Formats: sequence, structure tokens, C-alpha cells
Amino acid sequence: MKQRTNLCWVSVAVIALGCATAYSARGDQNPAFAKANQDYSEGHFQEAVDGYQELVKSGQWSANLFYDLGNAWFRLGNFGEAILNYERALALDPHHPEAAANLALVRNEARALELRRDGIEHYIEAGTSTQYSIAASIAFWVVLFGAARLFFSRRRSAALVSLIIFSTIVFVASIFALYSLETGSKGRDLAIVTGKNIEARLATADNANSILALPPGSEVKVLSQRGDWLYAALPNDLRGWIRANGAQRVRM
Amino acid sequence: MHRSRLKPSLLARAAVAALALVALAGPASAEEPSVTAVLTSSEAAVGQAVQLQIQVKGDRNAAPPSEISVDGLEIHSTGQMQSFEMRNFNMTSSVTFNYTILPLRAGRFVIPPQSLRVGNNSLRTPELTLRVTDSPNQSSQSNPGGGAADPKKSTFAELIVPKTTAYVGEMIPVVVRVGFEIQTRVRNIPPELDLPGQGFTKQKMRASEGRQTIGGKTYQIFTYKTAIAAVRTGTIEIGPVAVPAVVLVPQSRNRSFPQNPLGLSDPTLDSFFNDPWLAGSVPREIKLTTERVNIEVKALPPHAPPTFGGAVGNFTMTADANPKSVQVGDPITVTARVSGRGNFDRVTAPVFEDEHGWHKYPPSADFKQDDDVGISGAKTFETVLSPNERKDKIPTQLFTYFDSLKEQYVTLRAEPIPVRVEGGNAPAAAAPATAATAPAAAAAPSTAPQQHDILHQLTDLPVAPQSFTPLFARQSFWLAQLFPLLALLGYVGWKMRRAHLDNREAQRREALQREATELQRSLRRDDTPPQEYFSRASRAVQLKTALARNVDPNTVDAEIVASVFHADEETRRRLRLLFEKSDEVRYSGSGQNGTRLVPLETRKEVLDLIESLRG
Repeated sequence: MKQRTNLCWVSVAVIALGCATAYSARGDQNPAFAKANQDYSEGHFQEAVDGYQELVKSGQWSANLFYDLGNAWFRLGNFGEAILNYERALALDPHHPEAAANLALVRNEARALELRRDGIEHYIEAGTSTQYSIAASIAFWVVLFGAARLFFSRRRSAALVSLIIFSTIVFVASIFALYSLETGSKGRDLAIVTGKNIEARLATADNANSILALPPGSEVKVLSQRGDWLYAALPNDLRGWIRANGAQRVRM
Repeated sequence: MHRSRLKPSLLARAAVAALALVALAGPASAEEPSVTAVLTSSEAAVGQAVQLQIQVKGDRNAAPPSEISVDGLEIHSTGQMQSFEMRNFNMTSSVTFNYTILPLRAGRFVIPPQSLRVGNNSLRTPELTLRVTDSPNQSSQSNPGGGAADPKKSTFAELIVPKTTAYVGEMIPVVVRVGFEIQTRVRNIPPELDLPGQGFTKQKMRASEGRQTIGGKTYQIFTYKTAIAAVRTGTIEIGPVAVPAVVLVPQSRNRSFPQNPLGLSDPTLDSFFNDPWLAGSVPREIKLTTERVNIEVKALPPHAPPTFGGAVGNFTMTADANPKSVQVGDPITVTARVSGRGNFDRVTAPVFEDEHGWHKYPPSADFKQDDDVGISGAKTFETVLSPNERKDKIPTQLFTYFDSLKEQYVTLRAEPIPVRVEGGNAPAAAAPATAATAPAAAAAPSTAPQQHDILHQLTDLPVAPQSFTPLFARQSFWLAQLFPLLALLGYVGWKMRRAHLDNREAQRREALQREATELQRSLRRDDTPPQEYFSRASRAVQLKTALARNVDPNTVDAEIVASVFHADEETRRRLRLLFEKSDEVRYSGSGQNGTRLVPLETRKEVLDLIESLRG
């Protein structure tokens, strides 16, 4: 009994130590990040952008970093880059309230066009990819464990069968939601127009007929790439070619 | 043999049934009867004719409207045309009633809606307006005489352009009519024509066929219609249009029949047998050519309103929204319908006067034309708006066009549509700010100021970098699945071992049961020596108890048996005696020298005792 109590205390100590370490690490400011924030607060927005971009290049991606970078681009008047970075912040943390608020504001300012979402997509976007992944995983294992129990039990329990059916539905729904999120308008192929005077064209030539003028910050869904041109689904439900250097994918 | 004969019959019946179904389905799928009325020009000068066409689609038995009378206009019917069209196995028929309108004086004339009887229904044409000017320069009809209908000729071709002056972008209907006297047999005529000329947009002209009586002669008329829009200023030339055709010409005969085959001398029969058609006919290629028409094209006036998108004509606009009660962020579909007459390809979606607080998605457009050439019709725009904050109305929509009759820009305004937007009291952008900085402000959000600046910088960075890779695509996610997998495998293994053990127990019980049955059978026989009989009897009792309580039979004694089977005192005593006797026989060897067999009464007593043991 005494040994078990001691074991509990040791466990609590280890967890507390871990939390303290994590807290102290969070509190420790990255010097480059702090410098970029300092530049921003002093109104040196170009320097701030450079500082944030160095952090991005070094792979220290976080929703807050992209959010701050978006703010700096907004101060420089580059709405396309600002919207791109807010979108990246939201891709990393779909429930980032500041990024969502600033994105709405800048999109309104830039009159950027958004890809059309159908009704199901609106509902699916209430959850995140992580949540659906975990739900699918749990449901999958519940189904397997339930099936194993059903197999070895002598009589079938109605509750167990109901649980298996429910978990199967949850699993299928989660997989569908994941697929829709990945291939939908906010999925892996989402790109933001960052160039100016970008027009979607009927063919891969600058003198080809224009389909749609895309203000900076507009959303497109990249379908394929041919050389310097991207073939993309456009906000007006049409498809067209845009210069590859005129748009950037949200997911890096 | 009989079956093979029957098969073709069945196939034939099926084919007939299928054809009948197709025939029945044809009319069923035909469109609902509809009527359109079009003027070849909405502007004319006094004394210059304008054509009015009333077309009924979907029913060629429609009755023409009664006499059309408008004070100041002389309106005469010039005949009717019937046409059939088959597209994608969908056949449509239509009848067109043609009228010539001759303006008698200047002014603005309204041709009221006309009622037509179609089956049991009554259809009404739209109201039409004709503006008549005094000046012959504002001419409306150009009907070049060279190829025009001439009762003296058996064929004619005419190019009808109702205007000689127009604005850039203005749609001008153009009609090419080719007529053959009814006796002329037309073997081939192009189904489409190209309108020669430069400086205007054009489309292929498709032929429609009909009959018309001109000057007492009946003609077979082929009508090609299109609409053009000038793309530059100055004089543009249209035509001449050449229409190649192949007609059948009677073969000439050197002499007439010397005598008619019936041998009767009758002038009527003679003329019949000397008819040139009886001598056969030969195809001959002919080319009918219209004259050239010039149009003077003017530039649109300067200082066009910013909402002008290039529409030229005469339009009206209506607007609606659905749903009218939503939450902030929910979509509202705003429908704007621009109808009238003009260049619909340049009719763009109306502009919202104030888009602030709304998120607008690109509009979709759907054009439904009322005529053959797409000048008249209605274009419907659907724009999805999403409110970012509380709103009580959809903003005013503006649509600007150039009215070629009034020669000025006209801006149509669709009045604001009342809607109810609830939830999200403050603008969407301001919500997080109030939550993060001022809880008190969140308590009275309706009075919160609208945010026009972005939110502040964030200075926290997470411990570990984040990744764009979705959770399910990460290695760690799949490694984590090993834990439930191992747990599942452990559970299955444990269950299988349990089953195996249960199986061994069952085998053991089965062996005990078998032994017990064997013992009871031997106890009933009278050949068992006494030294073995009691031993077997006690063993049988032990086995019965072991099976009842799932214990080792070797550990069972009389007391255990009595308690397991809740035996009474007498039974308990007899059990003790049985076990003692068994021990006695087994260990002392008594009975070996006694009687050879156990007495019948004793056997019966022991068997009764064993039988009485019931749980």
C-alpha cells in the first residue's frame, strides 16, 4: 500500500515537472520573434516581415507567427500576402479567433473573391481535420473491439450491436468529413492570389481571353500545373489558367 | 420450332410498342404553349413599315388574334408561317402571325396585349411600344428593292435591316428572306447563312420555312434571322447576301403529245398531258442575291455612369431576396431580373450601392430569350450575399444602360429589400477583440463601434512548431494506432485462451459424465462382486456430486454429498454407511470371503439412494 502511494507521488512530480518545463519553454521568447514584434510595434513593418519570414523559412511554423506576418503585410498594404498568411494561421489552428477576424476585415477591404461552398461543407467546417481524425480512429477501434466481443460472446447484446452500428456511422461520417475537408474549397489545393492584376485565362498565354479578374487575396483551388501556369477552379465556378507566380498555396 | 416462330413476332410487338411509347412520349415531353411578340424595330418614321411577329410555340393550331387596332397605326396581317424543329429528339412546332404596321403620325404608340386562343387556354402577348418620328432620317426600314418581293417574279431575296443609324453595341435585328413561287420546287437551300460584312458581331443565321401570299401569289418563304451589334463607329456595310439554291426546272419538250393517250379530243386533257412537269424536271443551281445595306454607327455619349457595363437597349429590373430572415454569416440569395430588349451579352449583374458589412460572392447569370435572335428576353442574376453583421435590408441595386431611343444613360434602381439578420450582434471582425480585451463591451455588443482596423500582434509561440500536415497523414498518428491494435490483439488472445480452457473443462466433465453413466450401468448388473460394488457405488455418488458442483470427485465424502444435495437425516445416514462400507471393503478386505454376489435388496437400496440425489 505504501509502495503504491509513493508511486503516485512520483508520477505527480514527473507530470508537474513536465508542465513546468513546458510553461517555462512557452514563456521563453524566441529572440528573432521578439525582434520582429519589436519592429512591428515601432512601425518598421518591412523589417518585421523580413524577421517573420526568416522564422517561417527556419520551419518554426505556428498559427501566431503566420497571423503576425499577415498583420505586417496588411500594414504594408499587401492584402494578398496578408490574406494568405491569415489563411495559413487558420490552416494550422482553425479556431484562431484573431486570424479569423482580421481575415474577414482584410478580405472585405480587398474585395477578394471566395470559392463557393456548398451547404454540407459549411457544416463540415464546424469541426477540424484533427477532430475528425480522432473521432474516426476512436470509432474504428470501438467497432473492432465490439465486433471481437460480439464474436466471443455466447449471446448477442442489443446494446453492443447498437454501439457497433453507431460507431460505424461515426467512422464513415468522419472519413467523409475528412475527405470533404481535404478536397474541398479549404483543402490541400487551396491557393491565394497574391499577385496584382491577375486574371484567369482560357489558355496558358497572357493574351488569351480573360475569364475572371482576381483581386489580391482571392481564393482559387489548384487543379493542376503546367509549366508556369496553374489550372484552377475559380470563385465563379469556372476554371481557368493563372500564372503560377500570381498565387501561393496555403499549405506549405 | 414453334418458339422460334414466335420470337420474331414478339420482337415485332416490342418494337411496335416502343415506337408507340416514343410517339406518345413525344407530345408529352413537348413544351407548354407560349407566346412572344416582337417588333422588328421599336422605332420608325411616319410612313415606314415595321413588321410585327406574334409567335406561338408548342401549338401550331393556335388561332390568330382578332383585329389589332391602334389609333395612328395601320396594322395589316400579312400571313402566317408554321415551322417544325427537332432537337435531340424533341420536336417543337410553332406558328408565326405576321403583321405590317404602317405609322400614320408621329408619337409613342402602345400595342396592347393580344389574346390568342390555344386549345382551351388563352395566351396574351406582352405590351409593345413603337416610337414614331416625323423625320425620315430616323428611318426604320431598309428593304432594298432589287431583290425584294416582286409579284412579277417567281423568286426573290431581300435583306431587311430595320435601322440605318445605330449606336456601338446596339443590337439590330437582320432578316434575310428568300421566296420561291409555290410552283417552283426547291430541292436544296442552305440551312445556315453567313452575313457578309465587317465591323459588327454576328451569328450564323438558321433557316425557317413558311408560306406567304404576296400580291395574290403564294410563295414558299425561307427566313434567316440574326442580330448584329456594331463594334466600331462609322459606316458599316451589311451584305449583299448570296443565297445559293437548287430548284427543279421542268424539262423542255420539242413537241406536245400528238394525241392524248385516252384517245379523246378534249382541250382540258390535252393541256394536262402537255404539262411540262410530266416531261420530268432537271435540277438547276441558282443564286439569289440581296442588296447591300449601310448603317451609320455612332459612338455612345461620354460621361457614362460608373455602373454602366455596356448594355444598350431598353430594360426593366426587378429584385428579390431569399431567405429574408437569417443569422449573421448565413447566405442570402439576391435575385435580380433584367428584362427587355437589347444586347444581353453586355448586360452585367446589377451593382450594390453599399456593400459594407456584406460579403458578396460572384453572381451567376441565366438568360432566357423571348425571340429567335436573343434581342428580347430576361437575364436573371443570382448573387449570394453573406451578412457580416446585423442588417435590416439588402442594399440598393443599380443597373445602368444606354437607351438608344432616348439617347441617354438610364440607371435603374431596385429598392432595398427588407431582411432580418440576427445573431452576431457586432460586426464579425470585432467579436474576438471584444472577447479578448473588454468583457464589458461584449455585454452590450449592439452598441460596440464597428472595427476598421486589424487586431493586435500576438507574442506567444508554441513550444513545438506546428505542421500543415493533417493529423491522419502524420506518422505519429499511425504509430499511436499500435496501442489499440496491441490491446485488441491481447483481448482476442485472452478470449481465445479462455475458450480453450473452457473447452478442456467441458472435456473433463464429459469424461466424468461418461464414467458415471458406466458405473450406474454396472451397478444395475448382478455380476459385480461385493468388494467392487460398494466401491463403484461410492464412486458414482462422488461423480454425481462432482458434476453438480464442478469439484474434484476424489475430494467428495458423505458429508459433502449430503450438503450438496440437501439430503435429509436418513439419506445422510445411508450415505455414511455407503462410504464406510466402501472404505471397509477397500481397506480391510472384508467381503472377499463372504457371499459372491450382493443381495438384490441391497443393490436396489443403493440404486435408490443414488437416484434420490438430485440438486
